[in-house]
This record gives sequence, C-alpha cells and structure tokens, in this order.
Amino acid sequence: MRLVIARCSVDYDGRLSAHLPLATRLIMVKADGCVAVHADGGAYKPLNWMNAPNRLTEEEGRWVVTNPKGETLTITLDEVLHDSAHELGVDPGLQKDGVEAHLQELLAADPCSIVEGLKLVRREWPTDIGPVDLLCRDAEGVAVAIEVKRRGEIDGVEQLVRYLERLELDPTLRPVRGIFVAQVIKPQAKVLAEARGIACVEVDYDELRGIESNVLKLF
Amino acid sequence: MKFRCERDPLVEALNAASRAVTTRGSSLPVLSGLRLELHGDQLQVTGSDLDLTISVRAAVSGDADGVAVVPAKLLSDIVRALPPGAVTVEIDDDEARIGSGRSQFAVRTIPAHEYPQLPEPAESSVSLDAGAFAEALRQVVAAASNDESRPILTGVLMAAEGDGLRLVATDSYRLAVRDLPGTSVLAEGQQVLVPSTALRELSRLLSSAEAVTLRLGERDVAFEVDDVRVTSRLIEGDFPNYRGLIPNAHPNRLTVGREQLLEALRRVRLLAREATPVRLVLKADSVELLAITQDVGQAHEELDAKHDGDELTVAFNPEYLIAGIDVTPGDEITLETIDALKPALIRGVDTPEFLYLLMPVRVS
Repeated sequence: MRLVIARCSVDYDGRLSAHLPLATRLIMVKADGCVAVHADGGAYKPLNWMNAPNRLTEEEGRWVVTNPKGETLTITLDEVLHDSAHELGVDPGLQKDGVEAHLQELLAADPCSIVEGLKLVRREWPTDIGPVDLLCRDAEGVAVAIEVKRRGEIDGVEQLVRYLERLELDPTLRPVRGIFVAQVIKPQAKVLAEARGIACVEVDYDELRGIESNVLKLF
Repeated sequence: MKFRCERDPLVEALNAASRAVTTRGSSLPVLSGLRLELHGDQLQVTGSDLDLTISVRAAVSGDADGVAVVPAKLLSDIVRALPPGAVTVEIDDDEARIGSGRSQFAVRTIPAHEYPQLPEPAESSVSLDAGAFAEALRQVVAAASNDESRPILTGVLMAAEGDGLRLVATDSYRLAVRDLPGTSVLAEGQQVLVPSTALRELSRLLSSAEAVTLRLGERDVAFEVDDVRVTSRLIEGDFPNYRGLIPNAHPNRLTVGREQLLEALRRVRLLAREATPVRLVLKADSVELLAITQDVGQAHEELDAKHDGDELTVAFNPEYLIAGIDVTPGDEITLETIDALKPALIRGVDTPEFLYLLMPVRVS
C-alpha cells in the first residue's frame, strides 16, 4: 500500500469528465493497482478512483492512470507532503456480525428467548437430509424443531417442513412441532409457515447479545 | 337471483365489501368470494375474512330473491369495467351472468352453502357523532402496532372513562390517548380491545357520515354507518397498563407553534435517512432541529419557542414525532420531558382531551 499526501488537482476523463481543483489530498495506490484519491472527510468513499486492472505512469509532477477501457485519471502534483509504502500482507476478510451461526449459538444458550419453557435437547440434530438447527422440548415435553435464519424467507420455511417430515418418522420424537426463527420474517414466509402449522418468532439480535438498543421503548 | 341497478352504486357496494375479503390464502376458499343476498329490492353484499366482516346494503330493482357467492375480485373488476348505466345480474345454480348493454359476462359461482354463518350483531346500540369519532380515530389508530406477533398491541383500547369514552393505542414506542367526554358507550369500568384494522376501515366510511351506530357483543363489535356495517372480532387479552407510563411531572416544557414545528420537521427529515433520528435542542427562546446522516449531509433549522427548564438535546424518530404533532389539536403545542431518555409528552395547549407519549432515541 503506497500512501501519498499531496497538494494536487485531479482530472478524470472517461464516461464523463470530472475535475478536482487544487487541494491537499491522500492518494492511495493499492497492491492490486487500484488508485483512490481521498479528502479529509467522508467515511469510505474516495473523491475519485480507478479500479484495477490499470496502468500507472509516473511523470515529473504528474501521474496518469489508464484502464483497459481508455479512461484516464490524471493527478497533477503541486507539492508532495508525504510518500510511504507499507506491506499489509493478505487480508483475512470481513467477518460479518449477526451471522446465523452466532444467532443459533445465542438461541441455544437461551431457548426461552424463543418461547417460554423450551429446553435444548441438542444443536444441529442430525436427520438423513441434514441437521436441524435446534431440537428442543417444550414445557409439556413435546419435541420442537427450530430453524434459525437471519432473514426468514419461504425457502427457510420449506427447509423446516422437510426436516419435520423426517423427524416425524422417529417414534421417540413424534409429534414434532416446528418454530421458524429469524431476525425478520417476510410476510409470505409467515403465511406459508401458518399454513404448514409452523410458528414464527422474530428475535432481536442485539437484545440476545445484551446490547442496549438506541431505540427506546415505553415498555 | 336476479336484479338490476346502476353501475356506480353497485361498484361502491362491491368495493366496500371486498375490503374485508381475504387476499391471502385462506383455509376457507369460499371467503375469496362476496356473498350476495337479495330480498325484494334490497341487495346485501358481504365480504369477510372471519375476523373482519363488511356488509353493505344497496337499493336495486329486484326480480327474484336469492343467495349466491361470487369471486370477489372478478365480480368487482367486471362491474367496474362495464360502461356507465344499468347493470343486470342474474345468478342461477352455478353461474352468475353480468351484463350491461352489449357486454355480457358469465362467471362460475362458489357454493353459497359453504359460506360460514357470521355472528349477528348485538341488538342494543349506541349512536355516536361520526365527526368527533372520526377525529378521535385519526388521532389514535396510527399509534397501534402492525406487528401481528403482539396481537394485543394491534388493537385500540376503548374504555369507559368518567362520563365518556377513552381510546388508547400503543406500539410500545408511542402511546396515543384520546378522550371523548360525554360519549357514554360502555358501562362503568368496561373496556374492549378493537382491532385497528377494523377501525381503519371504519375511518374510511366516516368522512361523509353524520352518525355511527355501535353494537357491542361479547366477542365482537359492529359499527354501522349509513348502509355499511363493519363487524370485527374483539381482541382477547390485557392491554398494557398505560396509565403508569405517563409521568406526573416534567421539569422541561417547550411551547411552540404547531404548524411551524411540523413544517420545519418535514424539511429537516429529508436529511434524517436510514433510521437517523431528528435532534431537538431545547433552548430558552428557541428550539433547534438537527438531522445528520453520515455520507449524505445534514439539515438544521431554528424556530422561536418558549422553553421552561434546562437546555436539553433530545432525539426522536422523525416519522413518529411528525405523526404525533400532526394529530395534536391547537395552534400551539407543548413538548414536556424529564430528560433525553424518558418519554416525552406532546399535547395541545388548552386541549387536554388528547395526549401523545413518545419515547426518544438514544444519541451520543
């Protein structure tokens, strides 16, 4: 990663023309060839940029970045204030918060947050078509199969219906009822679940993690 | 069954009753139809999803009495598409023939005996002023929840309060309370929970009416407006103890012109995107409105106002705030609060019959 802080002006010529007048900016040249010009503000979006693959030609007081489509980004350097290069190595990638596995883990730790009286039998209960996320028993001892999704859509309900069919074949479990759990469940999925006799429960991920929401409630 | 009538009143009757017909898959396919019942020159059109039933009477020129169920959407679409003028409807065992001029349609009917027996409304009735009731519904119903997983909150509480009627709704973020003094509908201490969906349908009918008749049964309630009856099942369960939510005293009280605040909020809201709250900075002689959406921009406006209390910044969901102020009566309103994390009370100056309680949003 090369970081250059410079007083510069920038001209883009391609699908349209754009001009950034003379000012102090950060120019980032990434290892893959991407060039991005940032101002001292805004969270993430550069003022101008050129994605890889492209070719950077450095001349005295002027950089020209050209991509295969013939678009050019011309950076005219008036004064270079900083120029350094750093080896960042391979990035491990973004780990998104709120993934299903974590939601499942939280619900397994506290099944009563789904329905009062539920007790966990096992996470990832195996069936011959794949594991159901949670198998619980309710207060009356009835087996409850729970499918957990971040976003509850029709295919998630159908998946749970298939699991229920397999679980019903097990005499030690049947009858088995189903609960479809997600942060948000789409109306169509709710209709299908209702038609299949499956209960729907929406859960608050922040609440499960014990994070206080900014949105306050009266009760 | 055979009758003849003008197209437009028939379209109105079909449209009104169709609003209760279930659009989602139902366990009773017959509920996708409208039930038509003809006695002499009186046609009754009924649509229902079992929770909500809308029944409309229409004057027609009747030739042969009878009962039939016809697919609701198809019948409405056909009649609406006919040319203006007289429409003839003739229904025998399994076919409805609808015609006007040279246009003729034949539609398969649904067996009428499959239509469920709907509850008859209570005999005793109370009459209410339609204008006042419509205004009260406009103020309260919007605060009810749409979240079907909390059915109690999807209802509007109707309760006897002193010598009048009180309407209350809350979605847990806001609470609206409206009193109708002198409107004796319920016995002392009596209260019922009416689905907000039914009251929304009722509101549509009240704009041109003078009176609404209320018939309260054990499990359902019926509202009659002119030739339309809206019947709804009551919601069973205990409504939250809303009285305990309303603080008795507020150290901070802002008084501001209602219309000026509303207009300013609507402007500033343009920059309150992606669930961003609007901040109100309460100062001695003014209130500042501020909305900041990262990577989009910000909006700022200052209004003259009177504030008794400490300088305070409090933030709200702009939609809920605007909705509350919009239905608060009077030229001037007060916004009273304890601090930035406690519920704020919005009322009209000198209009004690309505209050709107709104939870703020936590901001850094």
